[in-house]
This record gives sequence, C-alpha cells and structure tokens, in this order.
Amino acid sequence: MAEITRDITKKREQRYSYGLMLLRECIEKKRPLTNPNVKERKVLLRAENISIAFGKLQALNNVMVEVKEGEILAIIGPNGAGKTCLLNVISGFYRAQQGDIYMEEKRITHYSSHKIAELGLCRTFQNIALYTGLSVTDNIIAGRHPHIGYNFVAGMIYFPWANEEEAYQRAIAEDIIDFLELEHVRGSVVGMLAYGLRKRVELGRALALEPKILLLDEPMAGMNLDEKEDMARFIIDINEFLKIPIVLIEHDMGVVMDIADRIVVLDFGNMIAEGVPEEIKSNPKVIAAYLGAG
Amino acid sequence: MEETVKSIVLGLCSGGIYALLAVSYVVIYKSTRVFPFSQAAVLIIGAYIMWYCLIAWHLPIWLGFIITCAGGAILGMFIERAFMRPLVGQPILAPIVVTLCLMLFLRGLGILMGKGDIQGFGESFLPVGAWKIGFIHLPKIQVYGFILCAILIAALMLFYEKTRTGLGMRVVHEDHVVAQNLGINVKRIFQYSWIISCIIAVVAGMLLGNIQGVGLALDANGLIAIAAVLFGGLESFAGAIIAGLAIGILQMLTITYIAPLLPGETTMMIPFVFLLLILFIKPYGLFGLVRIERL
Amino acid sequence: MNINRPCGTFDRTYFQAKEIYRTPLRKTLLVLLIIGMYLLPFLTGDYGISILTLICAFTIGMLGLQIITGYCGQISIGHAAFMGVGMYTVGILQRHFGLSFWVCLPLAGLVPMFIGMLFGVPALRMKGLYLAFATLAAHFVIVYVISNWRSVTNGTDGMWMKRPGSLLGIDFVKDRNYYLLVLTITIIMTYLATNLARTKLGRSFVAVRDNDIAAEVMGINIAYTKILAFGIGCFFAGISGALGGAYYEYVNIEWFGLDDSIWYLGFLVVGGFGSIFGAIAGATVWKVMDEFSTLVTPLAETFLGGASFYASAAFSLVIYSLIIIVFLVFEPRGIAHRWEMIKRSYRLHPFPY
Repeated sequence: MAEITRDITKKREQRYSYGLMLLRECIEKKRPLTNPNVKERKVLLRAENISIAFGKLQALNNVMVEVKEGEILAIIGPNGAGKTCLLNVISGFYRAQQGDIYMEEKRITHYSSHKIAELGLCRTFQNIALYTGLSVTDNIIAGRHPHIGYNFVAGMIYFPWANEEEAYQRAIAEDIIDFLELEHVRGSVVGMLAYGLRKRVELGRALALEPKILLLDEPMAGMNLDEKEDMARFIIDINEFLKIPIVLIEHDMGVVMDIADRIVVLDFGNMIAEGVPEEIKSNPKVIAAYLGAG
Repeated sequence: MEETVKSIVLGLCSGGIYALLAVSYVVIYKSTRVFPFSQAAVLIIGAYIMWYCLIAWHLPIWLGFIITCAGGAILGMFIERAFMRPLVGQPILAPIVVTLCLMLFLRGLGILMGKGDIQGFGESFLPVGAWKIGFIHLPKIQVYGFILCAILIAALMLFYEKTRTGLGMRVVHEDHVVAQNLGINVKRIFQYSWIISCIIAVVAGMLLGNIQGVGLALDANGLIAIAAVLFGGLESFAGAIIAGLAIGILQMLTITYIAPLLPGETTMMIPFVFLLLILFIKPYGLFGLVRIERL
Repeated sequence: MNINRPCGTFDRTYFQAKEIYRTPLRKTLLVLLIIGMYLLPFLTGDYGISILTLICAFTIGMLGLQIITGYCGQISIGHAAFMGVGMYTVGILQRHFGLSFWVCLPLAGLVPMFIGMLFGVPALRMKGLYLAFATLAAHFVIVYVISNWRSVTNGTDGMWMKRPGSLLGIDFVKDRNYYLLVLTITIIMTYLATNLARTKLGRSFVAVRDNDIAAEVMGINIAYTKILAFGIGCFFAGISGALGGAYYEYVNIEWFGLDDSIWYLGFLVVGGFGSIFGAIAGATVWKVMDEFSTLVTPLAETFLGGASFYASAAFSLVIYSLIIIVFLVFEPRGIAHRWEMIKRSYRLHPFPY
C-alpha cells in the first residue's frame, strides 16, 4: 500500500490506499503501545469527585472515574443514574459544581467543549446529533475540523493549498467509511438514513476527530442482535486495532459483560461499584440496584 | 429634580402603551416560539380602522372601538390561518421572514387605506385637557390611555389564570408536544394567541393614533417595544410590563436630558442603544428563562 | 447512487470527487456563460446595462446574506445598513482623504465587517434570535449616526462619489466599462463564496446551523464561527454597497431603510437558502421586480386614481411581500430547489425518482 505523506503535490493523481493504514498512521503517531495487564496500565483520563446538581436534583455525587490506556470501560446503571450527565461533564458540555478532570495529567475541568474535543476526547450522542443537511461523507469530513490545516482566507482562494488538503481529508474520511462499512450510503443525506446507520455515521464522525479517548453513549440502543454484533465488532476493532480506549454507556448486560475490561456502576448519581466484570456480576449492591438476582 | 419627576410620571403613562405592545409580542412568542415582528404594523391598521370609524363614517366611540377590536381579531385569525399555519414544521427562519414581510405588507395596506397622508383624529375621542397635580401636568389622554392598558393587561392575566382556555395556553407555553398529548388543540391555541395579540396591538394603535396622529410613523413605537420585550425577557409577562414602563420612562428622560445634547432625532435611536447594552450586560433580560439543553 | 452526476461519470481520484463542475460539458457551459455575461452589454442598451450592473452589485450583497443566513443560520435584519456603511466609507474616504477608488474598495468591505462584528459579538454568544434584534438595533443606530454626523457624512443630503480612475487605459466613466468592472468583481466574489462553502469554514457554518450543540462538542468553536460568518457577510455587503454607490455616483442613507434589509432576507428566501445559485437567483428576481414595478406603477395609479406618490410606495411593499410569502408557503426552499427538481426529473426521466 502506498505511503501517505503530507507532500501530496507530487502524488496528485495517485490512488490513495484503502483500509486502515491511513487512519492508523494518523492516530498511531501520537500514542504508545499498551500494557497487556489491565490493572497496571497508565491512567489517561481521571475524573475526581464530580458533583453536579440541577436545582435540587443531585445528578452526580462525588463520582470518581478513571480511564486507563487501551481499555474498554463500561458505565452501567439504571435510568436516571447520571451516566449521560457524567459524559456531558467530562466532554465539557455541563460545568460541574465540584470536582476536577485530568487528561494525561493536564487539568481540563473548565475547558470549553471544542477545546476538549481538540485535545482528543470525542463522544457520540444517545439521541443522534448529526448534521442533518449534510451527506455521510460531509459529516465525517466535518468531524475532521480541528485537524484541517488551512485558514479561511486560504480556503476562499482554494488553489492550491485548500485543494490538496481537502483531497487528503477526503481520503481519511473514505478510510473511515470503509472501516465502518458505510460505502453504500456514502452520498446520502443523513436525514434519510435508518437509525442503525446513523449511529454508525456518528461513530465515524467521532473517529474522524482522531480521538485519544472515545466516549460512546448507548451505541447499541434500539438495535437487534445482528446490528448489535456489528457494532460490538466495530468497537472491539477500534479498541484493539486503533488502540483507542473506549468509555461505553450501555444497557445490554450481555454486551457489557462480553467486551468490557472494567465496569463502573452508577446509581442515582453515586458510584456504587467498580471493577472487572466478574467482580461486578457478583457484587450484592449492584445486584440489588440494577441487575436483579439470577 | 422637578423635570426628572415630571419625566418619570409622564414616562409611566406612555410606558403603559409600550407595556401593552410588549405583552402583545410576548403572547405570541410564548405560544408559538415565533417572534411576531408584524405586530408593529398591526398598530397602523388599528389606528386607520378607528380613524375610518370615527372620522370618515362618523360612528360613536364605543361602536368604533368594537369594530376596531373585531377588525383586529379577524386580522389575527387571517394571519395565523393563511400565513403561519402552513409553516408549522419549518425551521425558525421561515416564520420570521413571513412576519417581517407581513410587517411590510400591513404597512403597504396602511398606505393604501390612508392614501399616504397623516391624519389626525380631529377632536380626539379621549378627552383633551390636563389635570394639575402639584407641578405636574398630566394630560388626560395619557392617563385614560394608561388606565385602558392596565385594564386590558389585567383582563389578559385573569384570562390566563382563571379560564380553562387560559390554562390550555399556559400548557402550550411550556411544551407543544406535551400539550397535544394532553388533548389540547394546539393549533387553536395558536389562533387564540394571534387573535389576542392582534386585538391588543390594535387597541394600542388606537391610543397611539390619538396621541401621535394616525400615520405610518406609528410602527416606530412597535419597534421600540421590541427593545422592551428584550429587556424584560422574551418569555415573561411580568418582565414585559415592567420593561414597557421602563422604556416609557427612558423615552421621556431622553427627551428631557439627552435630546438637547445630541443632534437629530434621538428618541428613535436611544431605545436601540439600550437594547444593545442589554445584550451586552444581561442578554436574557430581567426575567428571561435560560434553557438548559439536553444532549 | 448519486443523481447529481450525469450517468456514467465515475470518480477515480479524490480531486475528481469534490469537483463542482465535473464533466467537460459543464465546464464548457460555465465558460460560455461567463463569456456571454461579458458580451451582454454590447447587445443591450444603456437601460439593460443599468439593470445588469445593479443585479451584479446586489448579487454580492445577497451572497453575503447567504453566508450569514443560508449557511450559518443566523438571521440578520441589518444587511442594507451595512451596505450603506460600505457606500459611505468610500464616499468619506474619497471626499475627506482623496483616496482613489481602488484603495477604498477593500476598506469598504473591511469597515462594515468590523462594525458588524462589533454589533454581532453580544448577540452571537447566545443561541436563538438575538442576532436579529442586534442587527435591528444596529440598523437604527447606523442610520442615526450617518444622518446626523454632518461634518463627516453630509447628513441627509447625501454624498457624491466618484467612479474609479482609469485602469489599464479603460475609462470607467462610461457605463459599459463600469459594468464590466462590476461583473469581474462579482465573479471574483462568487468564486470566493463558492470556495468558502466547500472548505473547512463553510462546513463549520453548516454544522453550526444544523446542530450547534453537537458542533461545539465536535471541536468547532461556535461563537468564533458565528462571528466570522457575520463578519464575512458584512464584508460582502460593504463591497456591494461601494460598487452600487459608485454606479449612481451619489449615496444617500435614505435609500437604505428597514424595508431593504427585509427585502434582502425575503428575496434570499425566494432564491433559495444554502446555495450560491439561490443568492444569484434572489438578487436577479429582486432587481427585475424593481424594474417591473417602475413600469407597472403608472397603470396602478390610474387604477387607484388619486395621489401619485403613495401608489409606488405601497406597490413595492404589498406586491413584494406577497410574492415572498407565497414562495415561503408553497416553495420554501426557493427557486434553486425548484431548479434542482427540474434537473433531477430530466436526469431520471422516465423514472419518477
């Protein structure tokens, strides 16, 4: 496969490679390999003592979450436990009244959402929030926004800088589309797509941001078994092949127990348990609050 | 000091009409989430209808009042049914452009009705003369106008609080989908909001036509009331009333103190400078609601 | 299946995939169109040239409003006021500083851009209609300042402007040569706007319009994007004003009332949101309606009988607003969308979709 460098002018008419090589090259430059033992890995994201209240409703109460390198962390809990709220606080959309968030030992608590996204914390949404007027390819290229190199005046003049850069970004977007098997709907406006496909486009857009950590909010909600298996396969591929740690909010216990490395359980804003799936399955507090006996 | 107190009292009186206009904007905005710029021009139509009734057809005042209110109601019904209802699902831009174009359309209609001239009411239908309280000359027109505005706003608040339809409207203020699921006919509530708002605007137009002369310049008051609405908060009646009075006082203080300092016609411009200041300092207004978005 | 491409065109490189004029036929047609527009003034008389010049000048302004409203979704009711600021910038610089038109032209874009950003900053921090109110206020403040700052702007008497000096031996006093200059500038601005639409900033505009919460979380700084959209739109408005003013060689702020700002928005709707063709179509429809109304108004006056001036004033108000409202109710996506549907039905013939 061809080597892609920034010097595209020489390779103007060359076929760009398909598959994951291009994507991997973007992302792997920035991250080292991971330790196979889950408990000894380096902590990438640390959220300490997060508390947030809406009026009298305490949504989160002293929650502490750590995301280690290369792991899949699942956050589970009944409805209203504050899982999406926690994700919103981490990605900067809500402002916690108390608590700190550290990403690679850098304090990002009061950063605005777009700066946090630039740093590599990318998320998908429970109720899909795509750019409904754009096509699938355009959505993914729009996700590349922080990593596109030219300023707007160069963009208006377009030739030659923006032209090359746009082709390069399109190549990356096409690679993501290939990875997520969205080729057949590449040109459709996302408003027309089915729900499962839209979730995949969201995942693609989050991938386009070159995430260091991926936060997925109920990626398998509303899907049948086939679609769930597909999505689980994508998540595992992203985690193993691209070496991105994933934080997963999910209700399907089968999926969670199968693919998660560690699980955090929330209940009414409090964290009641944390550990590997075997520990959580037998934890009495978790069984009482969420899983139920048997 | 005397001048200040005089300005404040007179400002309160004229502020009553601005409060009425501000309430007419808020009524529609709360129900339909569309800001009705067209109410500024409904003023003109109201003033012209009253003029026709009183001067051209020589009807008694009470009949003119009823005909004008009926005209306002019909206008509101027609606007909502013909122009706003087809646009219900569209993005926010479409109804806004329609209300803006309606403002100009009604202005054109006003030109055609009045044949382009500014008319006076001749002997105005509200009594002339003034009362003297201490050192303040209170024109009777202003006071009766203020009382009429207060009565109308109080009637509207009673309607919202006590009647069943008012309760339905309050539910629609919160959430359209929930209201529909509770069996409230949301489209009819939109009709009612437009009818109420147009009646209020038309009455305000009558009063302003009496004070300022019936002509095309009346919609300046409507635009100034927009500054009042923003000051009070887009979704608050109490805010609209208080802000309307405040804008009235501001206008009077401008005429007394600021106008001699600056050249030209400042009374039109100062409320908008005030609007920009509000946007800088307290953008959601005095009593405005800040909505927390959910992802 | 992509129906925007003719049958049989496949993309083999990424450069081809993002081209706007993909096939040789389309490229040829584009070149022919541009050549035709250059040759048109030789066919029409002076009246035709005046209409064409105004269409080109207003197209630039419409493109600016398309960027603010069509691409970024912010409603601006002060666009005509910023056009006026552009005009007056050129007038003031020519009168008080004696600068040549060529120097004044970029400044005529930059000054409204900065003034616009100044008015836009408080409103664009927030979501919702607040920019509409801020631009409404900006309109009145700008009109007041220009009308009353007599020493600089000559107040309501208006200012004289000079056409550009000769360039490469072409004298611009002649209307036809001036039209060719305006056409060239219009083509350049359309090129810039089209490129803006398909690059990083343009995509962020559309992202902010479609879903600004998601855009913020996806790395787009929405306040910066909105302010930049408003600034660029006002830049286009200023240039449009400068060119229009130099055509008339006289500017007066009374030509730029609130009505004109609302017609800008309205005819943008008629032309179609979100596309460059829509902006051009809207400006064309507006100016053609202007000419039409000057022709028809005498008939209307005899029909109504009576004073003459009010019929013309009422005519534009009533008829334009009716046209815009009818378009909004029946074809909310405008002429551009209808044209796309016609092209699509031709491409897919005999299938319905």
